[in-house]
Amino acid sequence: MTVSSYFLPASVPEALGLLGEHGPELLVIAGGTVAMPLINEGISLPGRVMGLRRAGLDRVERAGAELRVGATATLTQLVGQGDVPLLAEAASRTASWSVRNMATVGGNLFTPPPGGDVATALLALDARVVVAGPAGERTLPLTAFWTGFMTTALASDELVTSIIVPLDEGRTAFLKFGRRRANTPAVVTVAAHATLEHDRVVSIRLALGAAAPHPVRLTRAEAVVAGSSLEPAVIDEAAALAAEDADPVADAVASDWYRRRMTGVFVRRILEQLAGRAGRDA
Amino acid sequence: MASVIVGFKLAGREVEVMASPLATLQQVLRTQLGHTSVKDGCRQGGCGSCTVLVDGEPMLSCLLPVQDIAGRSVTTLEALTPAEGLHPVQRAFLDANGFQCGYCTPGMEMLAVALLEHNPQPTREEIEDALGGNVCRCTGYEPIIEAITAATGSREAGR
Repeated sequence: MTVSSYFLPASVPEALGLLGEHGPELLVIAGGTVAMPLINEGISLPGRVMGLRRAGLDRVERAGAELRVGATATLTQLVGQGDVPLLAEAASRTASWSVRNMATVGGNLFTPPPGGDVATALLALDARVVVAGPAGERTLPLTAFWTGFMTTALASDELVTSIIVPLDEGRTAFLKFGRRRANTPAVVTVAAHATLEHDRVVSIRLALGAAAPHPVRLTRAEAVVAGSSLEPAVIDEAAALAAEDADPVADAVASDWYRRRMTGVFVRRILEQLAGRAGRDA
Repeated sequence: MASVIVGFKLAGREVEVMASPLATLQQVLRTQLGHTSVKDGCRQGGCGSCTVLVDGEPMLSCLLPVQDIAGRSVTTLEALTPAEGLHPVQRAFLDANGFQCGYCTPGMEMLAVALLEHNPQPTREEIEDALGGNVCRCTGYEPIIEAITAATGSREAGR
């Protein structure tokens, strides 16, 4: 092991101080479920590492119409959030029990695809990311957080400290398609939040994970669905646009061709679920 | 940075180890404390053979820097095994032939113990979900599920 220093700050100011002192050379980890396998295997050879498990960022609390999730809250803590079923389900469908006891919500934002199921659910819920840096805190929408494959809007001296989830009224749905039921990486993950008036869609957010360089909103599909009554022709068009907008990679889980095709299938299914209709097969 | 002294509870006793930066709980348990039931399987968090309980919750010791769990309580299969005889979960695995080569067994049993602590009467589906991160290449899982189901019964009978 090449690691010469491992820091375990006990507060955010201490963590920011270490980041300022050591700069981008300092690898920040939390649950360790993504970084530690790479370090154990010698693929990642960091000299200095900072762990956030003791930085006091693991609280999940309700504040008015929002849920404030500490960056190092575990996925197991989210599974217990029964009043936000979309988050609880996304967390419960991620990895295995032991991993969920370690992996963090903040860390899920940095997990390369096909990881990021919880991040995909957070995107559908219009979550915001609270970031701390030397100049204080700033908040940015999750839609502005990712800038590319494994790149974010975070400056090298900043840390994600919490994620704010608005608890809007509406229907939600989450579909993860993997090669088996439990502990499986996604072929595609789709999450949705919609408000309906009678049968008409007033607003909709559709998020896609595992089939793009980072979780993305399917804005063209959303535009077709908004204002509609989720008629079959609308769903067909939205599914086709979603498949077009997917930008998947090929890996051991699935080919890019298959992920694109499944994006269409699962966007169709999630819209049918929101409409309260039994799914048709593609 | 030099090694640091890390103290935690193991099997109810305070232990202190010298740990190099980012040393994992798995390395410390195996090489310094002799708890070799904690297997060194994939070191990727992918096989579950290094599962231990930290404050009663299953975690993968290969991914856990030992400094992170300073002051917390760690349980391994060595800690659960009585001086004489077997823990009811071990007995159930033996009776149901819940292992062949035995490599996955400590991780499976730690997970089973944690599951029964959280949920004394798990359904078959709940057992399957709980075992989702623990790989067995010999048994095909059926005898393991049988063993855990039987351990449920023995716990009830033992009350």
